Amino acid sequence: MSSRGTTRLTPTQVWGLLSLGSIAFSLLAAGLFQQDLVNSDGLPLLLRFFNASLHPDLSPDLLQLTWNSSLITLSYAVCGTVLSLILGSIGGLLASEVWWLSVLGDRSRHSNPVRASFQLPIFWLSIRALLAFPRAIHELIWGLFFVNLWGLDPLTAILAIAIPFSAIVAKVFSEILDDTPRETLQVLLNSGVLPLSAFCYSLFPQAFLNLLSYAFYRFECSIRSAAVLGIIGAGGLGYQILLSLQSLRYEQLWTFFYALFVLNGLIDFSSAWLRRQLGCASRMDLNLKRTSALRSNSRQRQGMGSALFLGIALLIPFCFWYIHPDFSRLWTATTAERLREIYRASQPPDWSIMPQLLHLSLETVVMSILAIALAAVGGLILAFPAAHTLFMPGGILNPHQPFQINSLPWLGLLLSRAVLLLTRAIPAPIWALMVVFVFFPGILPGAIALGLHNLGILGRLMAEVIENLDQRPLEALKAQGAPASLIFFYGVLPLSLPRFLAYALYRWEVCMRETVIVGLVGAGGLGRLLMEQLSSFDYRGMVLTLSCFLLLTFAVDWMSAKIRRSIR
Amino acid sequence: MNAAPLFELKQVSHQFGNLPVLKDVSLQIFSGDRVALVGASGAGKSTLIRLLNGTLRPTQGEVWALGRNVNQLKPARLRQVQQQIGTVYQQFHLVDNLQVIHNVNAGHLGRWSLFKALVSLLVPLEVETATQALAQVGIPEKLYAITRDLSGGQQQRVALARVLVQNPLAILADEPIASLDPTLSREVMDLLRSLGQQAGRTLVVSLHDVAFAQSHCDRIIGLQQGSIRFDCPSHEVSETMLEDLYGAPDGAPDGAQG
Repeated sequence: MSSRGTTRLTPTQVWGLLSLGSIAFSLLAAGLFQQDLVNSDGLPLLLRFFNASLHPDLSPDLLQLTWNSSLITLSYAVCGTVLSLILGSIGGLLASEVWWLSVLGDRSRHSNPVRASFQLPIFWLSIRALLAFPRAIHELIWGLFFVNLWGLDPLTAILAIAIPFSAIVAKVFSEILDDTPRETLQVLLNSGVLPLSAFCYSLFPQAFLNLLSYAFYRFECSIRSAAVLGIIGAGGLGYQILLSLQSLRYEQLWTFFYALFVLNGLIDFSSAWLRRQLGCASRMDLNLKRTSALRSNSRQRQGMGSALFLGIALLIPFCFWYIHPDFSRLWTATTAERLREIYRASQPPDWSIMPQLLHLSLETVVMSILAIALAAVGGLILAFPAAHTLFMPGGILNPHQPFQINSLPWLGLLLSRAVLLLTRAIPAPIWALMVVFVFFPGILPGAIALGLHNLGILGRLMAEVIENLDQRPLEALKAQGAPASLIFFYGVLPLSLPRFLAYALYRWEVCMRETVIVGLVGAGGLGRLLMEQLSSFDYRGMVLTLSCFLLLTFAVDWMSAKIRRSIR
Repeated sequence: MNAAPLFELKQVSHQFGNLPVLKDVSLQIFSGDRVALVGASGAGKSTLIRLLNGTLRPTQGEVWALGRNVNQLKPARLRQVQQQIGTVYQQFHLVDNLQVIHNVNAGHLGRWSLFKALVSLLVPLEVETATQALAQVGIPEKLYAITRDLSGGQQQRVALARVLVQNPLAILADEPIASLDPTLSREVMDLLRSLGQQAGRTLVVSLHDVAFAQSHCDRIIGLQQGSIRFDCPSHEVSETMLEDLYGAPDGAPDGAQG
């Protein structure tokens, strides 16, 4: 913070220098230049592993198992998404400012303005604060906690996804509602309509496409989480991958990998396609004011809408039927008794681990910084060839005429998209297990694993940013006769960089939470301690570790939001 | 006719922050009146309308609507009063990705239960009423169109149809024709006048265009910098009064040619 006093640096430059400094510090702290990091004995194993990718196990039995496991993973994702959307919609409404303004009346209308200005924020701010807790705890920790409660029931996997996701959905939905223009709502409220009816006839339909688009994105996230949850034994593809990795059966492993790619690819593709059809191309409008300036043929949209509705209406009951979670367990006496037991076992907290916690917190932050740095740089590099509006025929950086055939951009597009798909489809802990083939366990392999997984996600988000750029300034540059490289540096890069950074910072928050899941495979930090405590039923220590982790998550969220605001 | 005024302002002042918008305004509007509010931008026309429909609370003074002091009402009572006051805006304020019928049916919402409102979003209810309202404003064929696909003039008609369905005692219109061309303006103003005449509804319109105020209303209130400069029957409004109101001799508003 030493540069804060000087006036010559812009906030962006200050944050840039600070982040470079923190990355350098993190590299040092991770021991990059000090110890033996690379374990050359692992290289032959890695070679065998990659060799197996060419001949995956395609025996009928294994294909059957792959199919069943894929269905389980899909079902977890669908059921988890459905629950989180239901809970999140309710929470989102209650966490939005506009809802409480509508219910309690506008401040200027209130009989006691002072009391109103005090009362209004209290409602939605306290609900938002409450939502921050389930959100800060990763699905995997929820999963491990529920395993202690219910064992390996499908309910464990579904709730592990649904609880943190509904809090995230609630947060985003409330922001979407608050950003939607309020005039129409106000008109209805002014003609004496009750708030909930007024919402149904104004804000809900106005925000519907944004909400729907975000719901699809949540589903994409859900499928990745469902794969990760397999690792704690909840079944599905993640579980099978872990089993074959541990028993060194790489041919089987690759069959499951391919299944995971296909599943992820299908869902990402159909979700993107649907969003394009519905006219809402970008999945999250970070840093952009949301408007519903969507224009497309409405009749075609209606046909699309009913087809979509039918598909979802069939898929949801099928998924619930396929894994048949036992919801009655939620309110049985055994569950309540078990919860009381865990609470008793967690008192009093074990304060003796505090010094260790401080050290591990630093490690965790270092890991998250390295991971996001890797993901941002890698994602940035791959995003440009992966965007179809730049180098492709007719693209803004393609010097050739649209009808000329040139295979190079196609190759770049397919290759970069394949890499992005591969990196994001494989869960971070699986990446971690592979990285430790060649690295000694520690923070660095953990950061690399997290970085690789997030690289795939970030690169795809960034490619979408590029595809959705306002084309007019770029066309103007091109019309001036500027060469492609200049269009890139004077048009594409400055236009897209602020949103890249916003996404990277947002993903940094996610990386922070995900440090826990690479901790599972021994990558250090608070995550590893948390796993140890969970598996040894050390609830007294766990309370503190979890609190410490929550504090860190909130600090990172706050920091990220602050930077995002200052570079907006 | 009713002896008590439908709307009454008693020494009302209003400020936004430190900026006074209305200064000590008193007026009465009776049932069946057709009143035009004229004056330059910033004279306080919109504020006056927002005070009348209970959206704003005056900094000083009392606003009475339908025989009740609007500022003292509990929310439920206020809603009952507001259901009797329909408002039309310059920026139509419709939900543009809904079908026209839902925007029209939004006029029912003050009376409908939540359940009925939700059902109607799936299967439109009271189609008959909506069709009649749209027929009255001249676009019955647009019942199931997506609102966004309508032209500006058509959207203002949908907003009028919504008010018709609400069936209020009074219609307030805040510069309803400011974003329309002269021909459409005349049609919308004709509509507003006839809607007022049909059921003896009270009409309060804020206008930039004095010619329309004179041709379509029977009383004109001239506002200047938050105070009432004149308040008299339309035919008594003289050229000098208007020049005085708009400040400069050539200050007659644009588009007065109608």
